Amino acid sequence: MRLAKILLRRKTVLFALLVLGALLVVAAFSPLFVPYDPDALNLTDRLQPPNLTHPFGTDHFGRDILSRALVGTRITLLLGLSISAFALVFGVPIGVLSGYYDRVGMVVMRLVDTIMAFPAIILALALMAILGKPGVVNVIIAVGMVWAPRMVRVVYSSTLSLRENTYVEAARALGASSLRILLRHITINLLSPVIVQATFTFAFSIMEVAALNFLGVGIPPYVPSWGGMMNEGRTYIIRAPWIILFPGLLLAMSVLSFNLVGDALRDRLDPKLRNAV
Amino acid sequence: MLSFIARRGLGMVLSTLLVVTITFVFMQLIPGDPASVLLGPNATPEQVANLKATWGLDRPLPVQFARYFANLFRGNLGESLFHRQPVLRMIGERAETSVLLGIMALLVVAGLGIPAGIIAAIRPNSWLDNLLLLVALAGASIPSFWLGLMLMVVFAGKLHLLPSSGFTSVIATGNLANLKSLILPAFSLGFVNAALVARTARSSMLDVLRADYITTAKAKGLSQPVVIVKHALRNAAIPITTVVSFTFASLVSGAVVTENVFALPGIGSLIVQSVLKRDYPVIQGIMLVVAVLYVLVNFFTDLTYAFLDPRIRYR
Repeated sequence: MRLAKILLRRKTVLFALLVLGALLVVAAFSPLFVPYDPDALNLTDRLQPPNLTHPFGTDHFGRDILSRALVGTRITLLLGLSISAFALVFGVPIGVLSGYYDRVGMVVMRLVDTIMAFPAIILALALMAILGKPGVVNVIIAVGMVWAPRMVRVVYSSTLSLRENTYVEAARALGASSLRILLRHITINLLSPVIVQATFTFAFSIMEVAALNFLGVGIPPYVPSWGGMMNEGRTYIIRAPWIILFPGLLLAMSVLSFNLVGDALRDRLDPKLRNAV
Repeated sequence: MLSFIARRGLGMVLSTLLVVTITFVFMQLIPGDPASVLLGPNATPEQVANLKATWGLDRPLPVQFARYFANLFRGNLGESLFHRQPVLRMIGERAETSVLLGIMALLVVAGLGIPAGIIAAIRPNSWLDNLLLLVALAGASIPSFWLGLMLMVVFAGKLHLLPSSGFTSVIATGNLANLKSLILPAFSLGFVNAALVARTARSSMLDVLRADYITTAKAKGLSQPVVIVKHALRNAAIPITTVVSFTFASLVSGAVVTENVFALPGIGSLIVQSVLKRDYPVIQGIMLVVAVLYVLVNFFTDLTYAFLDPRIRYR
């Protein structure tokens, strides 16, 4: 509760939480209130600038940008959530074990560092090439595999410092098994850094998904997504910049909100990291 | 210093070997067997078998790995499936664009990020500091390709000040004016990455400004610019330098999309085309070159760091 109060006191965080709340509502209920069918073609109304009937304008097929952008919220949030979950499910156990057992750590961290030598988008592109067709599951795996090693890193370094605590030593002296120490004394205390990292993972992954969709190698083009809309709008960029303007603004607002919340959580949950990058 | 270089050098060699191994594993992960994927669905079994024999794909994995490794030493990264050209030559032909874009973007990163961070740190928690931090955070949240497209609308579409796409070699034509084509891409790429540098510059300046020798310098009656430039900035420079070089990976990632937006003939657009065409040897070659560059950049960053701050050598 105290955390909530402190978070709400900062105006920027309040703004971010409002944006995220709105996104959630839109993602959950958008089919109920979008003004037009997001896939309905209307060639007589093509490339209309923003006006009263189409507040965000229309694209080259006459499809309503507002409706498509709203519907795209759902897939954006779903992908962000799935990719963060992927990073958590693989990153946390591997990170904890690497931090707790030196031998595991030596091997795993070498591998993690090597994977991180491949820039995020290059790794994601290469994985998409291996996984085959564009698709939601493939995007989750490709981008998830980019972010899981980063989660491993955060969990690893937190575990390294946690295991040196006196209470861990005490538990060991009392005869607690390694499994008990890992679960009851270490993993539970990893909650803060993991939550913070998961928030940033969410922010970066929706940006990366948008980049993949923009490049035409993410999810199939018939699913309305912000990155895909921007890709389709490129041909008309000078004539009809609104096709790209609005999905990009929504994306930037979402990423900014997640970053703001992530920063605030980090300041609150781990004051030592306050000045870190 | 020599033992430090030796230790880091060994680490670098090890990382490079791991990078090579990962790119080799990448080829093994291609669904189906590479030869038939490469020849397409109409290939006869004999053709597939022939190709396998030529490439040594019928040999055991360790032999294949040794062969891959030996080829790399000869500068042979394989051949493109579609262009029938050596991968290394294709990468080389496109290196100029990417390198120039990278250098110009780095200038934007340093030119915007470092001053912004210093200004913010001089007056912490002032409205200027808050504003700069918010801009930095917004900068980090804007997709660089979107920023690039919006800049294109304004500066190429409306104002006609700068070209919207394409790039002709400066080396081949000797015409420096061609660099104009890289201004918009470099700015959109650099602005987004400047945010990180600004935040680091701010926090390391803040740390330094709290130090006792700064208080002493002020007490001696030195003017603020002298204190900031001569006493604080020199000591804050180390973390800032490192972060500037750490933006390498992020710049490369951004460049892949930015090159695509501005139709620049660089390595980034090459990998996207290769992914769309499933030109695996080219993808593999680019992964290798970029990752090895990353390892090298890290190595030299470590050396610079140790050179600037001798304490690091003994850690």
